Amino acid sequence: MSIADGVKAAALLFVAAIAQVSIFSEVHVFGAVPDVLLVTLVALSLLRGSVVGAVGGFFAGLLVDTATLGMLGLSSLVLTLAGYWIGRYGETTGRDRAHAPFLSVAVVTVLYELGLLVVHFVLGESAPAGAVVRSLVPAIVLNLIITAPIYALVRRLLRRAERDELTAEVQLLG
Amino acid sequence: MAPPSRSARAAVLASSVQRSKPVPRPSQARRAFIRRAVVVVLVLAALTLLTVSFRSPTAGALHDVQGVGSTALRPFQVAATRVAEPFRDGYNYLHSLSSAKSENARLKKQNAALRQAAIIASARAAKYPQVLRLLHFEQGPTFPKDYRAVNAAVLSSPAGPFTHTLEIAAGSSSGLRINSPVVSGAGLVGRVSNVFPDTAIVTLLSDSNSFVAARDLQTGVQGGIRAGPSGTLALYEVKKQLVVKKGDEIVTDGTRNARYPDIYPYGIPVGRVSSVGASDTATFLQVQVQPFANLGSLDAVAALVPTKPRR
Repeated sequence: MSIADGVKAAALLFVAAIAQVSIFSEVHVFGAVPDVLLVTLVALSLLRGSVVGAVGGFFAGLLVDTATLGMLGLSSLVLTLAGYWIGRYGETTGRDRAHAPFLSVAVVTVLYELGLLVVHFVLGESAPAGAVVRSLVPAIVLNLIITAPIYALVRRLLRRAERDELTAEVQLLG
Repeated sequence: MAPPSRSARAAVLASSVQRSKPVPRPSQARRAFIRRAVVVVLVLAALTLLTVSFRSPTAGALHDVQGVGSTALRPFQVAATRVAEPFRDGYNYLHSLSSAKSENARLKKQNAALRQAAIIASARAAKYPQVLRLLHFEQGPTFPKDYRAVNAAVLSSPAGPFTHTLEIAAGSSSGLRINSPVVSGAGLVGRVSNVFPDTAIVTLLSDSNSFVAARDLQTGVQGGIRAGPSGTLALYEVKKQLVVKKGDEIVTDGTRNARYPDIYPYGIPVGRVSSVGASDTATFLQVQVQPFANLGSLDAVAALVPTKPRR
């Protein structure tokens, strides 16, 4: 992964995190909220692997917890694991499969919500399991709806970077 | 080198050609180790942050750093909110349009319910003066001793000019008996003529079968209150030579003969003399009495129940 790629990925996650805490957190549909940050992280992890997914998840979670003045490390923990797991899936089974982003988003949405629930429960905070379970299906649907455009955007941005790198390499050799 | 007669493909695929040794790739084990190490480090870092943040949520260096970070992120959040504001306004506008119809129906329904509640409240408020007067009467000096008041709402008023009864919301379960006197805040209304467990029928003074032993409070002249043919009250059996003046107050006379106790105790206001007349041939005066109680419009009354059992 080149530096330009890294900067683009960081910028993507930053914008997604800010958009999530500022805009999308207020969009409630049947008790669920579309998670732009999670979908962006899934797209990034699928395209760039587990290490990038884990690192991106960690810093995206840190951003969210900082912006919302939440408990630091909580989102980071869950997003790190989510990014790593999806990255591994992208590196192995899900490589070049059209359904991989959708499958990943659906599964990660469930695991992310349940993971947050478990962490909150372990910390002794309010963990409304019923409400979380009830909002799972709407959350999956919402995230699946935004998966296609976000995945296309992320792939376009990162692939363009790859082409640029390839072009530069050809020019150097030529 | 392949001979010129052979194609390049054949030259590459030919078994005699010495293949170049593959470039050694980075060890997969090493890559896996790095990958796992990164994840473990990040998870440990997250757990550390979580622990520190959990143990001191309102103070400490981490809290200060988080505050600074939040302040630094605030402009971005504000900018994002402003960017999204037109879209949000547009969505809210469309949403309000789509929900306007259902909201209109809901508000109409709510308005009807509120109007009904207001009417009920007004109706109850209109009864308040009568109830207050009744209370004053019950606590006043003219309230008969040895009686207690059973307050009751009037369920149905006289249905027409030929009906002189009303139904009240108290019955035998409240202690009412047949012939219990019934009063309003202004004065005597009538007597209980039929009783049920929770309701009772009251026959008004204006009924032709009613009779109340009464006296002129000012002159002490005794007589009997009866309803005339037109439903107006009159003080009967007042001899011509006795004096009754217009404006005199008429009250119940109570028991005149101990052998025949009257159903009405002494001193309940009945009405005021509205006119006094006498003809040359008649033996008695014609004394018209205007009842204090408005018999045609009663909302609340009190039945008088003896506190001591009567013999």
